[in-house]
Formats: sequence, C-alpha cells, structure tokens
Amino acid sequence: MTERINRLKTIATQLRRDVVNTVYYAGDGHPGPSLSIADILTALYFDIMRLNPVDPDWKQRDRFILSKGHACPMLYAALARRGYFPPAELKTLRTLGSRLQGHPVMHYTPGVDATSGSLGHGLPQGCGMALAARRRGDDSLVFVLTGDGELNEGLVWEAAMSIAKFKLTNMIAIVDNNGVQSGGKVETIGGLVKLREKWEAFGWYVVEIDGHNMEKMVTMLENAAKRGRASRVDREGMLIVDGQAAPNPDQPVMFIAHTIKGSGIPFMEGNNSWHKRVPTDEEHQLAMSILGGKDLE
Amino acid sequence: MNKIESTRVGFMQGLEALAEKDDRIMMVSADSMLAMRATGFAEKFPEQFVEMGIAEQNAAATAAGLAIEGMIPYFATYAGFITMRACEQIRTFIAYPNLNVKLAGVNSGVAGGEREGVTHQFYEDIGILRTIPNMTILVPADADQARQAAISAASIPGPVYIRLGSGRDPVFFEHNTSFLPFKINILQEKGNDIALFGNGVLLLRLQKAAEELEKRGIGVTLVEVHTVKPIDVVGITQVLKNCGAAVTAEDHNIIGGLGSAIMETAAENCPVPMSRIGLHDCFGGSGNPEDLLDYYGMSVNDIVEAALSTIARKKATPSC
Repeated sequence: MTERINRLKTIATQLRRDVVNTVYYAGDGHPGPSLSIADILTALYFDIMRLNPVDPDWKQRDRFILSKGHACPMLYAALARRGYFPPAELKTLRTLGSRLQGHPVMHYTPGVDATSGSLGHGLPQGCGMALAARRRGDDSLVFVLTGDGELNEGLVWEAAMSIAKFKLTNMIAIVDNNGVQSGGKVETIGGLVKLREKWEAFGWYVVEIDGHNMEKMVTMLENAAKRGRASRVDREGMLIVDGQAAPNPDQPVMFIAHTIKGSGIPFMEGNNSWHKRVPTDEEHQLAMSILGGKDLE
Repeated sequence: MNKIESTRVGFMQGLEALAEKDDRIMMVSADSMLAMRATGFAEKFPEQFVEMGIAEQNAAATAAGLAIEGMIPYFATYAGFITMRACEQIRTFIAYPNLNVKLAGVNSGVAGGEREGVTHQFYEDIGILRTIPNMTILVPADADQARQAAISAASIPGPVYIRLGSGRDPVFFEHNTSFLPFKINILQEKGNDIALFGNGVLLLRLQKAAEELEKRGIGVTLVEVHTVKPIDVVGITQVLKNCGAAVTAEDHNIIGGLGSAIMETAAENCPVPMSRIGLHDCFGGSGNPEDLLDYYGMSVNDIVEAALSTIARKKATPSC
C-alpha cells in the first residue's frame, strides 16, 4: 500500500507542476480550481479507473466527465501523463488550432469522454452514459466530478433526482468541495448549505472524504468502484467506508471531497485571485521551487 | 372540411417502426408521454423509453449522454420547451459534438398551439435552431409526413429537429407519398408568374390560394420546403429564376424561419420581389386553429393579396 500511495503522491506533484506550467506558458487558464482536484484525478486516472490510452474509445473503459470544465488544465495533465497525448502539447492550451480547447471538448482531445465547461452538465450527461452502459450490460463505470459552485445550477438537481430514480449504481459522483467559486464563498454566493443532507434527501449515499488524503481516498474509491461493478445481489451490504452503514444496493454514491483551492502551492491556497490568473515569472519560479522540477518535459 | 390526423401519432408510428428494427432507437420523455401519444411505445419498448420528468434541460443533456454511447435518442415534447428551455443543451452538448440526438417539438405555430395560448404555442423554434451549426430542421406537412420524417431522421447523421402540431392536424398528402429530406418538393408548376413556397399546416392554404390565383389567370409554381435547414439553395434558386417573384408562408414568426431562409437564399443568388406570410413579429393567443391562422395574417386571402402585390413589384424590377 505504501508503495502504491507514494507513487500516486509523486504523480500528483507532477500533475500540479504540469498545471502551473501549462497556465504559465499558455498565458491563460484556471490554476486554483485545477489544483484542488489534483489528488482526486491522480487517484482516478492512475489507480481506480479501467482505461486503455492506446484505444481511447475502448467500449469497456470507465468514463470520466469533468463537469467543472474550467479545471481542464488538470484533466489535460492527467491525460498527457497517462499517455493519451504528448505532455509537450500542454503548452498549446487555449491557442488557435490546439486540441486543448479552453474547456474540454469530446472528439477533439483523446481521452475526453464528454464536452463540458458550461456548468451543471456533467451529471445529466453522465446519467445518459450510465443508462447506456446498463443497456450494454457491461460493468464499466461513469465517474462525474463536479464543482461545488456549479451546484447552484438547477439542472444539477434535476439530474440528481433522475440518477437516483434510475438507480444508477454504475455512476460514481464526486463534488470538489473547495468552498469557493468565482465571486467568493459558495455559502454566500449561491446560498449552498447542508450539502450532505441535500444529496441524501435526493436519495444518494454520501461519503465525505479529504480530497487530499490519497491513502483514504484510494481505499474508499476502490470500494465504490468494486460495488459499482458488482451485481445487485453482491452489492447488498458492501461497505464503502468502515464505520459507516453500507449503502442500499440501489443507491448511487456521491463523494463530497473536502479540498483546498490552489492546493499544494501555499501562496495560491486561500487566495481566490488564483481562480483564473497567470503566474508571473517570479511566481512561476517560486511554484517550481515548491513543487520541484522545472519544465513540462 | 379536410381530413384530420395527428402529426404526433404519425411521428410515433415512425418511431415504433424504427424501434422494432433497431434497439439503439430510444425515446426520451419530459413527462411528455401522453402529449406525444407514446404510451404504446413505452409499453412495447420499456428498455428504450426513458422518462426524465418535467425537466427539459435534464432530458436533453441525458439524451446527449445516450448518444455519446451510440444510442439514437429521440427527445420529444413541446417545441418551445425543447428549443428555449433546453436551447443551450442542444447547442453546446448536442449540436457542437454533432451527436445523433433527434428532437421533436409539438404545438408549433399558432395552429399547433391553438387553444393553449402563448405559453404553449411556439413560433420561434425554427429561428432559434437555424442559427445552430450541424442542425437539420424538418417541417412535415401532416401526419404521414411526420411518420416519414421520424424514420428519415434516424439515417441523417447528427441532430435533427422535427416540427409537429397539435394532434388535430389537417391531412395534405396521400399516405406514403414520397418524402425526400433536403430537396424542395415542387407540388405544381402551372405557370411562372409567382412562386409560392411553404410548409407545414400552411400548405393547404397555399394550395387554395394557388387555385384562386389561377382563376384570375395567374400562373403559380407551388413548392413545399419541408427541410428548412440545410436549405435547398440550388432548387430554390432555380424556382426563383423561373418565376421572378415569390411568396413564402409558414406558421412561424416571419423573422428567422422559412421566409428568412428563402430571402437569404434569394438575396445571394437571385434577388426578386418577395413577401412573407407568417406571424408579423407578434405573439399569438388562444383560439380555434383556423380562426387563429386567419386572424394572424395567414388566411388564403392574405396569401392571394401578397402574391398580387409581389407580382406588381416584379414588373418594376428587372429579373435576375
């Protein structure tokens, strides 16, 4: 386990470095909301998800939707390091002709399973994809990562209702609960409170995790993935978290991941100007000295 | 009195015929099962019927997800709830990735929305969708064309919108009359004084207007334009060249719909005097469909008058 976790931690640092470099060289992008999902994406792309980068359209793969599409520098870094395209391409982000559009676009970027960026659309698209997977009868999973700010969108709750109604246990949803959206605190901008109770009231099984604790996160996500692939009979009583009652076999699972916007770079943590901001030369240097290493290659 | 059949029933007959042969065909409902007369479909094909509740954005985005995975979902409900409430989902999540999602909108036009009034009566749908790349827009004339349009849509790659009526829709064509998307359908060429272009419920009125004009010695070419996007530029230009003047007629705002599409085509390829019949940039209201069409400027007489005044302008304008 230690070796497994150390490997993932090293990758997460690499991805953080890639994000800072990407935004710095491209001269545009959202570093803060990318960094809060560094550890989650590392766990998914380098441990939990069943993938085949050589064949991005492989039918039996697990799907991933980055509903908070503005955090795509982190998704692009994960895809590049996982082998979907060369890491050198990351610096083309948001430039004319690049496969790395300002927000993720399916058919453009190898490994991007759904278009996203206009907020609130990951869960309903994932709902359709999970329904289709169930009709195909295979055990591939649909992972959806949403922001917490985007839960302001009414569409999210329409989808929350449907996914629970359809009993889409082959979906695993995660909220990146960094607590801050573009204009300020999530609580004050949109009045979003009692997140856990809201999802539970919609019929979901909720697990709260520390989105930067790799070891605990990997264990729980692995449990959820096993449950997601299991038959209904086998799902009965399957635990996700020790010490928390098992979900009922028809419930979809929502992870509320407590995270820090700008995570891993102290001068960005807690400073929401990094929601969308390009590091200066000095800031870039400083970030590189914190993370170690210096360039994309 | 013309025979009445339901464009909704026609559409569902087409969808059932498709679903029997192809299990990728699905129907997505926004609590529109009864409105769409889809109870039979839901019973026959429970695995291919998805009920999303009264949540059109959710239904459109879920349909996108199904299409990403290779299904061919038909999302059918009221025209405005699709094209307005779920407009962004159509534009960004269906049309941009060019997904195989088919959309069917009922209660189109004042005649389609008839007694329901403005909230459930939609004359903006085509204008909205025409500005979105990758969209195909079909406007069937009647129930049997709606059936054929539903079937044709499955083999047109990418998103297709099918415009439907109230469920009490006048019959125009004999059943099984050939329906070929993308090409204009020339219904008659009895002279070339004026071309009458139209679609949907207004074809009947255009035909009556053509008869009236012929009584007055005016030669009419009558053309059905069921595919509003992509518009048949070659076919329309040829008709405009032959006739040198045209009237368009549609149960839609004159801004953005068929009239706009043909005028754009004419302006770039063969500018001739033209007039548009349709709602003159106003909202409709509740009423009997025939009364509504008369009241809002789409009577047989309105078409005749428009044709006569357009022909008069033609004499003062050199042809292209």
